[in-house]
Formats: sequence, C-alpha cells, structure tokens
Amino acid sequence: MALTDFAIIRRSMFGRMFSTVTTVLTVAVAVALMLTLLSLRDSGRQAFERGTGNMDFLISRDPSALVSVLNGVYYANPPQQVIPWAKYEQIANNPRYFFFDADGDASNDVEVPPGYAIPIAVGDTYRSLPVVGTTSEYFRLFHPTVDGPFQVAEGELFDADFEVVVGSRAAEITGLKIGDRIALTHGTGEGAHLHTEYPFEVVGILEPTASPHDRALFITLESSWIIHAHDRRIALGGAEDDLATAEDVSDDDRLITGIYAKVATRPGRGVSAAMQSVQNQIRSDTSINVAQPAAEVTRLFSIVSNIDQVFLGMAAVVMLSSGIAIMLAMYNSAEQRRRQIAILRVLGCSRPRIFGLVMTESAIIGLIGAAVGIGVSTVATDVVAGVMRERLGVIVTPSVGAQWMLSIIMATVFLACIAGLVPSIMAYRTPVARNLRPVG
Amino acid sequence: MTDQNPSASALQIEDLCFRYPDMPSGEWVVDIASLDLAPGEQVLLKGGSGAGKSTLLQLIAGLLHPSEGSIRIAGTDITTLSGAKADLFRGQHIGFIFQTFNLLHGFSAIENVMAALMFSARPPRQHRDLAAQTLTTLGLDRHNADISQLSVGQQQRVAVARAVVCEPELVLADEPTASLDPDNADAAMDLIQQACSERNAALLCVSHDRSLDARFKRSADFAELRSVAKEGV
Repeated sequence: MALTDFAIIRRSMFGRMFSTVTTVLTVAVAVALMLTLLSLRDSGRQAFERGTGNMDFLISRDPSALVSVLNGVYYANPPQQVIPWAKYEQIANNPRYFFFDADGDASNDVEVPPGYAIPIAVGDTYRSLPVVGTTSEYFRLFHPTVDGPFQVAEGELFDADFEVVVGSRAAEITGLKIGDRIALTHGTGEGAHLHTEYPFEVVGILEPTASPHDRALFITLESSWIIHAHDRRIALGGAEDDLATAEDVSDDDRLITGIYAKVATRPGRGVSAAMQSVQNQIRSDTSINVAQPAAEVTRLFSIVSNIDQVFLGMAAVVMLSSGIAIMLAMYNSAEQRRRQIAILRVLGCSRPRIFGLVMTESAIIGLIGAAVGIGVSTVATDVVAGVMRERLGVIVTPSVGAQWMLSIIMATVFLACIAGLVPSIMAYRTPVARNLRPVG
Repeated sequence: MTDQNPSASALQIEDLCFRYPDMPSGEWVVDIASLDLAPGEQVLLKGGSGAGKSTLLQLIAGLLHPSEGSIRIAGTDITTLSGAKADLFRGQHIGFIFQTFNLLHGFSAIENVMAALMFSARPPRQHRDLAAQTLTTLGLDRHNADISQLSVGQQQRVAVARAVVCEPELVLADEPTASLDPDNADAAMDLIQQACSERNAALLCVSHDRSLDARFKRSADFAELRSVAKEGV
C-alpha cells in the first residue's frame, strides 16, 4: 500500500482528534437541528389535519374555538361545559342546517352528500385514555381522515349499552381484547371515581386511522347517561348498590360536550357558501360556540410557523457558526502543518494538490458531520413524535425524503468547502523555504 | 515527458541572476556565471550564512524563479517549467537532504520514504517494496517505527532514503552536518555520499563546514562563483 493523499488527510484528522471530533459535533448539531425542524414542521401539520376529517363544524360551549377543537378532537382536556340534549335536538333537527332528520333520509329524491350532526360526550376515561359517548352515526358518517370512515379490525361496532369499541392505539396501549370487561372512570381530578358496578364489554377494535381518535374508546351516549344518573341519585341520598337503569335517566343526565357537524350540500351549490350561512345561523344562539376545526388548525399553525421560522433562523445561525468552527479548525491545522506542507512541496507536491488536501479534509468533516447529524435527527424526531403521540394523540410520521437528505448533505459539504477556502488558500500559499529552516 | 539525455550534465547553471522584487537593481542575491555537475559528480559549495546558498537551492528546485539565466537538470531547464510541472519535475529528479531532516512527524519511517514516491511516476503498488528496500540498503530495519521513536542516526538514514528513493539525477544537501557532532557528521556524510554514488546521483552539498573539504574532489566558494560572474560581465 502506497501512501495516499487520503492517508495524509486521515493522519491529519486523527492527529488532532479533539479538534476533529468537536468540529464534527458542531456540524452534526446544526444539521440535526435543521432536519428535525424541517421534518416535524411538515409532518406535524399533516398529522394535525388528520382527525378533524370531514367535519365542517365542532359545536360546543367552550368559549374559545381553538380550545374546543383541542378538547373535542385531540382530547387535550375534558371539556368543562355541557350542552343539554334538548339543545342538541334543536340544532340537529333543523333541516336548514344539516339536511338531516331522525331517519337519516334526505327530504327529496336528489342524492346529496350526507350531512350530519353527531353528538359526542367526552369526559370519562379508561386508564387515562379518553372515552367518547356517541351514536352509531359517528362510525357511519364521520370520516376521521380523508381515507374515509372508521373500519372495524376485530369484532363489531356497539349496538347496545355497556358495549365498548376500542381505538387501535388504545387497544395497543391497554392490550384489551374482544370479550374483556372493563370499568370506566368518571370525572377528573379529585372527583374521579371508578365505576366497577357498570362493567363494559369490549365488542370491537378499530383499524388505525393515524388520527387522535385511535387513542379513544367509544360507548353509547345512553351508557354514559345511565352512569351519570346513578351518580346523581347517590348524591341525592340513594343507595350505592341500587343501580340506575335506562328508565332512571332524566333530562338532567342527558348531556353532551360537543357536536361534530357537516353541512350537506345540494349538487351545484358551493360548500363554503352554505357553511358560512349555517355558521351564522347557529351563532345567533350565543350560548353555544361554533368552531371550524380546519380553520383552527390552520390558525394554530400560523402561530406555530412564526416560532418555526425563528427556529429555522436559529438553525441557520448554528449552521453558519459550525461553518466558522470548520474554518477555525482547518486554519489551525494549516498553521500547525506549515512544515509538513513545505516538506510535501519539496517532495514534489504541487500547490493545487496542497489546496486539495486541506479542502478535502474540510469536506470530509462536513460529510461526517452531516451523517452524524442525520442520525441524531432521526432519533430526535422519533422522540418528539413519540411525545406528541402520547400527549396529544397526534400521529407524526417524521420523514425527510431521500432527496432532502441528499440536499442537506450536499449543502453541508458545500458549506464546509466554503469554510475550508481560506485555510486552503493559506496552505496553498505556504512559503516553502521559510518553513523548512531549522527551528530555534 | 522531459527531454532527458543520459549524457547531459546533472546540473548546468548559466548566467544565473536572482533578486527579490523589493531589492534595488544592480544587487543580486544569487549571481552565478556557470556551474556544471557531471552525472554522479559530488561538489561542495562553501559559503557563510546569508551568502544566498538557500536561495540558490530554491532556484535549482524550481521553488523560485530566476531573474535571468538558465538551470538545466538532466537536460531540462527547470526555469521554463511553471507551477505544477516544476513541482512534478522536482519530485522525480531532485532529492533533498536538510540539516534537521524535515521528516514528516506522525508518520512511520517507511511512510516518510513513500511520501517521496507519492509524487513520482512509479506505480503505487511498488512504493512499499521500493521504500523498504531503500531503507534496508541504508541500514535501517525499523521500517514501521514512528520517526519520533528513532535515534538521530536512524532519522538521518530515513532522510537519505527519502532523498534517493526516486533515483534522482541530483541530490541537494543543505548544511547536512550543521547540527551533528563530528562523529555523527562523519557518519552522515559517508551515508549521503555513498548513497549518491551507488545510484549515480550527482550531489551538490551546500555548507559552511570547512572540514568537509577533504571529502570532495571538487569544491567551490559561493562568493567566488559570484565574483567570476562579475568579471565575466
């Protein structure tokens, strides 16, 4: 094996191990920061857009539209305000809003995309996972994502009280299987209590939708109302073992926390026009709030994207300073290697080749830094994605395309070459005779 | 690549003048009317410090460009070569030996010798064998030892091996004995002169050490070369 340019470069890098490693790490941190932000920005937005699916409105009594969406769709916290069932019927059965009646039939023969007004009651939990009380319309008409309605992976949907359908992620976390019997927790904080007297049977498990709803469990509204009636009767002095039944449910128990609504449109009529007029009409009732989840997500991201840009700016600055670190390291290297460079020149090495030696070392540091950075960012995005999935149920699939990866690597190497320019020129110009003189 | 002529002088200098750009005209750092070394000839060039000896070596090596005159090495005028071509030519036809050896630190003995071959026309797969062979001939067996682990005498052998491994027509020795005690100096000169004569490389030894006179059949005083030139004008 002959001595090669690469061997000289490698020896130079290993000879100044500390400097090489710190410089590589500086580059890696910058690349990782850049990649993590880029990949989370795109996939985070996509993930948030899943979940609201085909609903036009989320009707609730939360005073803030954004909060109502975070609570009602992403299950961030249980909603604090409730809507009485009478109010729901008043809204849902108004044919001007959703062209939806009790039978689910359109009022004439013209085929129209079905609208809906699906009641949901959020607040109960099973092992900290949200339990949603709703109707079968939820599975029939609501599409959590653009891919369509929920699909059953195992078992079937509920068709009676005290049956529970488990979301895919919830099933994964709890290990629940068809036929398992579980007790739900009612209320939050100090008032939370387990209702072992009302066992629910797992009848179905859903396919993953990559939406926050995968973390939820679903029961009939009636079941949650019966438990509420039971609690109410105990509070009024009833015996704990005297179980309430469907007959005991009064209007005080018939409460929901939100309505998923979709405006039905007749052919030839614009959706947005219809939506605006329906929203205005519902809003005339000031006791309720009408949020457009899609708009709220967009608003949320317009807030986040400002922060995003600050982060990207910071990443760019870190990138720049890593370039300076390379320049400094290579400058010191060229300075310390003056004699070596002069010796190589005397042995027949041309100036351009010396320039190439320093430049290549710079580029290699950039390349290794980029590679390490990609590795670090893969781990970092996985961690962040995991946290987002656990906390918000937002399924982020961080992915940076191969093309992005390649451009990042190329950009880093390019930056490293620019940083190596001054040290390379310095090495190129190293005077030979002066640096071969005996020291001292 | 170069018009090499086996019968040509190893070194042939004619009407060589050099001054640095910031010096007044009429003053020369180097001023040599004529200096000729036959193939394999060994010449001692004497002169005190500051006489311009180092500058002359740089001119011969093609690291500096003369103001006037020509320098032919094995028939090729190195002053007509520029940049990378001069570097390539230097690597293939001129060997260097320095007072402080100027070996590459952090590299082994054999790597130091192979470093010279890097810039030669030899096929890379021959480099290691060639370097090993040269080191062995010069009496060094510790080929893979880092040069910092070698004694001064052993480092001297590496330096000589590096100078002659490419089979140059000309070896330039710059004060090779200046930092050695008399015993070591003798041994070093034996080594250099023997290595050159075995390979029929001409040796131009530049030194202020008068005790070297006896070792050379031919010696010249740097200052005299200069005055000869002035008379010739």
